[in-house]
Amino acid sequence: MNDHAARRGSRLAPGTLRFAFDGRTYIARAGDTAASALLANGVRALGRSVKYRRIRGLMAAGPEEPNALLTVGTGAAIIPNVAAPQLVLREGLVLASQNRWPTLRYDLASLLQAGGGFFGAGFQYKTFMWPSWKTYEWMIRTLAGLGAAPGACDLPPVAIEHISCDVLIGGAGPAGLTAALAAARAGARVVICEREPVCGGELEFESATIDGTAAADWLETTQSELLARDVRVLRQTTVVGGSDGLLIAHSEPDGLPGANAVYRIRPKAFVMANGSVEHPIAFIDNDLPGVMLLGAAERYLARFGVRVGSELVLFANHDRVYAAAARFLAAGVRVRAIIDSRDERAIDAATAGTGRARTELVRAGVVCLPGHAVIAAHGGRGRVRAALVAPLAAPHATRSLACDALLVSGGWTAAVHAGMQDGGVPAVAGSSDAAAAPDRPAWRQLAGASNDALELGAVLAQGHRAGERAARLAGAGAEAGPVPRGQGDPAPRLVPFWRSPAARGAEKRQFVDLQNDVTVADLRQALDEGFLDIEHVKRYTTLGVGTEQGRTGSLLGAAIVAEIQGLAVSDVGTSRLRPPYHPVTLRSLAGRRVGPALRVTRRTPLHEWHAAHGGQLESTGLWLRPRYYTANGADAFTAGIAEAARVRTRGGITDASTLGKIEVAGPDAAAFLDRMYLTRASTIKPGRSKYMVNLREDGMVLDDGIVLRLEEQRFLATTSSAHAQHMLSHFEHYRDTEWAHRKVTVSDVTEAWAVIVAAGPGSRDTLGRLLGAEWRGSLERLNHMEFAHRHWRERDLRVLRASFSGELAFELHCRPASALPLWEALIESGMAPYGLEALDILRVEKGYLGSFEMNGQTTADDLGLSGHVKAGHRCVGSELLDRPAFHEPTRPRLVGLKAADGRARFLPGAQLTTPDDPVHACGFVTSAVYSPALGEWIGLALAARTLAADGTLLVARDPLRARDTAVRIVPPVHFDPGAERLKA
Amino acid sequence: MTRLVCPFCGARELVEFEFHQTLPEPQAGAYARVYERVDHGQDSIEHWQHLGGCRAWLRVRRNPWTGDVRAVALEGSGT
Repeated sequence: MNDHAARRGSRLAPGTLRFAFDGRTYIARAGDTAASALLANGVRALGRSVKYRRIRGLMAAGPEEPNALLTVGTGAAIIPNVAAPQLVLREGLVLASQNRWPTLRYDLASLLQAGGGFFGAGFQYKTFMWPSWKTYEWMIRTLAGLGAAPGACDLPPVAIEHISCDVLIGGAGPAGLTAALAAARAGARVVICEREPVCGGELEFESATIDGTAAADWLETTQSELLARDVRVLRQTTVVGGSDGLLIAHSEPDGLPGANAVYRIRPKAFVMANGSVEHPIAFIDNDLPGVMLLGAAERYLARFGVRVGSELVLFANHDRVYAAAARFLAAGVRVRAIIDSRDERAIDAATAGTGRARTELVRAGVVCLPGHAVIAAHGGRGRVRAALVAPLAAPHATRSLACDALLVSGGWTAAVHAGMQDGGVPAVAGSSDAAAAPDRPAWRQLAGASNDALELGAVLAQGHRAGERAARLAGAGAEAGPVPRGQGDPAPRLVPFWRSPAARGAEKRQFVDLQNDVTVADLRQALDEGFLDIEHVKRYTTLGVGTEQGRTGSLLGAAIVAEIQGLAVSDVGTSRLRPPYHPVTLRSLAGRRVGPALRVTRRTPLHEWHAAHGGQLESTGLWLRPRYYTANGADAFTAGIAEAARVRTRGGITDASTLGKIEVAGPDAAAFLDRMYLTRASTIKPGRSKYMVNLREDGMVLDDGIVLRLEEQRFLATTSSAHAQHMLSHFEHYRDTEWAHRKVTVSDVTEAWAVIVAAGPGSRDTLGRLLGAEWRGSLERLNHMEFAHRHWRERDLRVLRASFSGELAFELHCRPASALPLWEALIESGMAPYGLEALDILRVEKGYLGSFEMNGQTTADDLGLSGHVKAGHRCVGSELLDRPAFHEPTRPRLVGLKAADGRARFLPGAQLTTPDDPVHACGFVTSAVYSPALGEWIGLALAARTLAADGTLLVARDPLRARDTAVRIVPPVHFDPGAERLKA
Repeated sequence: MTRLVCPFCGARELVEFEFHQTLPEPQAGAYARVYERVDHGQDSIEHWQHLGGCRAWLRVRRNPWTGDVRAVALEGSGT
């Protein structure tokens, strides 16, 4: 049928290549898509449908293709669901059809077709229930979905480019190119996105002249001029979505993921010239291979020289079908008949051009049947062989017309997705009942077929006007040149016709949405079951979901729903458009932000040392911190215990550089901090520090930390690592609002100071030997919560005597550059490092608060910090402290826990219940560790005040980990309750 | 809009800013200030912080339906 070497009329470059489909090798021309090559090789069956597993072939010539989705490649890195018309072939490509097993020809699941009635709309809500859905899971998993998911991806990351331009034009058809020309001539910087590899849109096959020259010549000169004017044309790029002035375009060269790019475009003006999408008419068995869209067949002929059949029957409801028939005849394809659903009077009222064309066609032997419809497509061995037609006045008087391709066109839907996604359902308006966009902001305009203009003269005029207006909006004022005058196919003069007549029982073979196997019967069933709103119909029947997103089926479905209900299409509407307009892989959206590049990683100045010495680094927030060191144990549990034990017996050092540190300075600094914390900072003497707690605006505890008074008007507030960012913003917020006219500065110095904590019985002596003469005596004189600021090796060093472990401990604040030397000196002096795991054990032994206790749902009273609440002190959060809810008897109280038998294990997160009421929780375990100092499991918990007396027996229930432990409430300070070690 | 004009840094992408809250009625009691928000009709007056830049707190007047930003002012500048 199609000679590869000749392909008369194609625009492809010479050269052939080989590719494989379902195990057989075929020859194609360079530049062929999978669709055109398979058509040229006479392959009609390209897959099976998702629900009924009916054999399907190509219907369209663009991404709106519902049936021919192929899997590319073999092995783990396959790529499923590639639309055949978009996939440009290369040598050796291996393709396979989808939704069939074991082969395309003999598919086991197609036996389900016999149960067609069983799988009506919404069947998934009514079936697969007895005895349990799990019985059917294996079957559903095998049968459901489009294609198979890949197991690996070895593609490179996607580049994201930001473009800022004056005018963005979506679509390089006649409207888009004219708009680009006008805007470029007016002096604007223009970018065009065109989804196909070539520009031209309908001009590819339409018989047209523009400004006296043939359309093909006009295209060439226009593109040259655009190039000369620095207009950027992005081919194989689709605008997939956007909002608020930003548009996202996705480029997928040759239709395969690989060299993708994503563009974030911010134009001053946007012209949508995306054209329209043809939709079919529903009749019985309109899904047979060989039943295609009229415009698609024209495109395959014009670009690829591929004839979709040797004997065609055309079925439409507008005048364009006659122009198309003339073109097919001129290319040597036999057109058997033209079925026009409009009656004679509607056609005779048309322009002289159509009348003349029709006469010539009849003379060439084409049977023209106005007022008729194709009732059914007849096929055999998986392809169409005849069209059954009948007059609309007498639908039973059928006759059969033999054909090997049946081309259908029911009209067009404007492709307005990219402009509609930020709100608004497209209104259905116009004599052709095509969807058109409602009011839109001035910077966004429609032109051409997107704007319901289908006649070339109007298309060009609209394009020019839109381009000119866009340029003006962007500030370009030069002359935009004359409006091109064009003459193309006659105006369609369409009379809506959505489906051919059929008996009720046959409606389940009239397909509306081919990708999801939605038939007229399904739409009727949805309406019968009460799903009247078009959004409900869509979800119940799955009309318009999938990769094709209702491009060919959505309007058709809405119109049939309207017909069944006796409403106008504009009253029913179509469902809301959502991004992306075109399938986009998550890989494309991620760009280069994958793996470690997903988030910023923060490292302490001692990071390299930890990594080199067995520190197991973990992400806590954005920081990497060592959880334990492998020298001390094989896993976190054993190493943590060993490290914690050593701190209490000998001593240890830990890297606490991640602590938040905020410097607050100025004459009003003290008053400012008084307002931020529950207790007063103004009473701290210079050289001393205080443990302080602050609240959120709603009275809950926000964070705790130590505030140092460096000088009379300079304070250093430390925060927990977890809340550092929040606390900084919190301080800055108040500085900029209530304190905007006061004299206080807030500076983040978290990364200006490294912090090393030296803790344990031997810490003072070790430090004394290490720090040298300058510090002699000062360390011994430092009381608890006092600090001194001197030097070590000529660099700043501040030593604060404070403890988070309950041991005698010193916080060393030094500049990041001296952190490593200081740490290494400490190591050499015999101090061993401990990590987060040991840190947690030590603080739970002492009942100190961590982020699990200060979880944003606890008050100061709950956590045993009532001593910090001073009557009359006004600070952030203090006004709401008197709420009755904060004083309910059922409010939690911080308690300590021990296993009742002194041995058993319990874990954080376990719910606490009383022994006689196992169902209702009265609290939960916030922290639990194995304590080496006490030789048993200990924990902290929040338990209802009424039940939380010391000695109460409760049960810690952990159904998730299948463990229930009897526990006893004890004071939260498990170890050294008198704080003797601290005062050493 | 996907951009805000920071008084110090100029027009920056929205991702650099963090939304904090819509403004409460300043004279209201503590409960209302923490939990209740004022309906300003067409526009929403909000606190944003330029976290990805100068960390200034900004008072933004914005139309929440269209995203149009009407005014951006430095917090504490007396507006």
